[in-house]
Amino acid sequence: MKKVVSLFLVLVMVFSLAACGNSNDGASGETGSSTTEDATETNTDDSSTEDTSTSSDVKITFLNTKGEIQAQLEDVAKVFQADTGIELEIIPTGAGTSPFEKMSALYASGNAPTISMMDAGDLEKFEDKMLDLTGEKWIDDAMPGSLDVARINDKLLAFPFAVEGFGLIYNKTAIESATGEAFDPDAIQSREDLETLFQDIEAGGIAPIVISPLDWSLGAHYTQIAFSQRGGNIAGHNEIMDKLKTGELTFSEFDAFNSLMDTFDILARYNMDKSDPLSGTYDTGAEAVATGSAAFWFMGNWAWPQINEMSGDNKEFGFLPVPLDMEGEDNKISAGPTKYVALDQEQSTPEQQEAAKQFLNWIVYEENGQKGLVETCSIIPAFLNIDKTPDDALAKSVLDYMSEGRTYAMVLTFPADYWAEVGASFQKHLAGLTTREEFYEEMENYWEIQQ
Amino acid sequence: MAGKNKNKAGVGQYFLYAGVTTFAFVTVMIIPFLYGIFLTFTNWNGLASEWDFIGITNYLGVFKDKAFWESMAITVKYVLFVVIFTNLIAFFLAFILTSGIKFENVYRSGFFTPNLLGGIILGFVWRFLFSNVFVYFGNQLGIDMFSSSWLGDPNKAFWTMVIVTVWQLSGYLMIIYIAGFTNIPKSVVEAAKIDGATGLRRIIHIIIPLIVNAFTISVFLSLQRAFMVYDLNLALTDGGPFNSTRMVSMYVYNKAFLAQNYGLGQAEAIVLFIVVAIITTVQVKYSKSKEVEA
Repeated sequence: MKKVVSLFLVLVMVFSLAACGNSNDGASGETGSSTTEDATETNTDDSSTEDTSTSSDVKITFLNTKGEIQAQLEDVAKVFQADTGIELEIIPTGAGTSPFEKMSALYASGNAPTISMMDAGDLEKFEDKMLDLTGEKWIDDAMPGSLDVARINDKLLAFPFAVEGFGLIYNKTAIESATGEAFDPDAIQSREDLETLFQDIEAGGIAPIVISPLDWSLGAHYTQIAFSQRGGNIAGHNEIMDKLKTGELTFSEFDAFNSLMDTFDILARYNMDKSDPLSGTYDTGAEAVATGSAAFWFMGNWAWPQINEMSGDNKEFGFLPVPLDMEGEDNKISAGPTKYVALDQEQSTPEQQEAAKQFLNWIVYEENGQKGLVETCSIIPAFLNIDKTPDDALAKSVLDYMSEGRTYAMVLTFPADYWAEVGASFQKHLAGLTTREEFYEEMENYWEIQQ
Repeated sequence: MAGKNKNKAGVGQYFLYAGVTTFAFVTVMIIPFLYGIFLTFTNWNGLASEWDFIGITNYLGVFKDKAFWESMAITVKYVLFVVIFTNLIAFFLAFILTSGIKFENVYRSGFFTPNLLGGIILGFVWRFLFSNVFVYFGNQLGIDMFSSSWLGDPNKAFWTMVIVTVWQLSGYLMIIYIAGFTNIPKSVVEAAKIDGATGLRRIIHIIIPLIVNAFTISVFLSLQRAFMVYDLNLALTDGGPFNSTRMVSMYVYNKAFLAQNYGLGQAEAIVLFIVVAIITTVQVKYSKSKEVEA
């Protein structure tokens, strides 16, 4: 009897081990559900399924680094498969993992995705692994300037996937109920106008603005407004950074930055979380502006899904530029292509590369593709031929500013750890622990160590 | 002749039972470790197709990297507090739970349970507690200390790390100390009682020397765990606020993967390994020399 029981236990163990081994191959299903929670991946190895060229249909993989559209992209992939017969698998990335981390791990393990959504700044490092896309049809239809950052050494290495914009998101209904009068965003032309508006809103019982103390938001987004104003385009941005590295430019001489910080002082004074500035999170900020507890939120249009979820019937939102008040210029929001998609040439077969190119063309030229990109995923496309617009108030606002020419080009070439380091310094400043001069000093130290 | 056969049989038996695990250990730990050391002498960035040898440039970089040593200092401070508190609490708990009170086993299981929670879950649960629950009660009851999140203040955030680690680890070390306590022969303790040793003297001169090997193991485990902490660091404070609780493992990881400076990151990881290896070896050697046979 004992022998039978022990034999049985051994068999149970062996089978459960075998079952564990098998379920790892079906990882795409598991990992798909894990991105809906905020789980951070501590190991960068992902057991994504390998491209099999033995199946009759071509199968390609797409690395998605925009966690907020994972589910939507999977729907788009299904439509693509129905249209073309090409199987498309969307590989998710854990929240907080940078595209570079994820891609390095996948390339190192031999599981490179056929198509990778990456941050523009990382393109250079992957130069020899990515397919040259010169000669593709969609080049002619791309927004002017959107391909600049993707041109490296006379090759075009990436496809601009998403246009995003950020600035001061406002909740129109909340403002009007606090001030008792209609709100016209174009009436706010300067810092002083904004402050007067803040005072009126505060008198009406609503917090004027909520500032989320996120290092990437303050570090990468807020500070870049000054770089964009002064630099104008990618060459200009890089020139400013070079000058900061050598010390030729200091922050006290950087007019646009000083102006930016003057505005920040006003924002901080009317911040909803003034008494505990570091307590807020991305979600509490979205909730505040969506429900109307705060009238403004410094964030970008990618937050629309979160705001939409919590705003009930109110869809009256839009962007107001962060006032820089530089002489002779209107205030502008920052907008431009942020995520770029590159095709692998190192670890994929020619059939897969053709299928991947077909996917890109499908998005730009086919009805279902355009719908998938713009309507399902709520992405603002970087192509002029697409006449659809996402059905969300923030995207419409960004497009309005773009059509009026009131946008700054986004800075895409900051060093990889810029947002983390400068973001940390900015958080200290937000919490009131450093003066502006000390904050400038910390940033100057950061630039000094960069090569 | 017979000896040689016996040797062969011994080796054969070893590979039969431990072969698979040895293979796994070598391929997963030893080979990458050696490869990593090799890579620190090159300038490979993890992606490029070509690289050159650059000698000890990376190691010189480690010594120049002020932030690395600052992070090391924070970690040492953290290790000190964690090792002392965890061992004191574990020893105290073990002492009580081997003295024959009622429901001993229930208490032992209860105190061990926090150790079963993974670092990530633990971090998120405690983050919720510190940021939301304590703050809520602090505001309701007017207790100043809790009215703002402990995770927002650099000093208090440090103590949250210590508190959560101690909470998690004490149970585990308690089990080790309990094993040590139950191994003390009753005859020795009774002889001491008969000879007139008071409670405190008994503890200091009889009990502690007899469980020094439990100390060796516990101090070693707590040292190693505290030095290498990462998952709790990430989930609880994420190095914040503003990198004030960025322990050295997190610093090295960020340097390699976030700042994409693999050479320096790997070199720092090797330096960290050497530091921890030296400290723990010294500790174990010292403790072993104090071990006494009953």
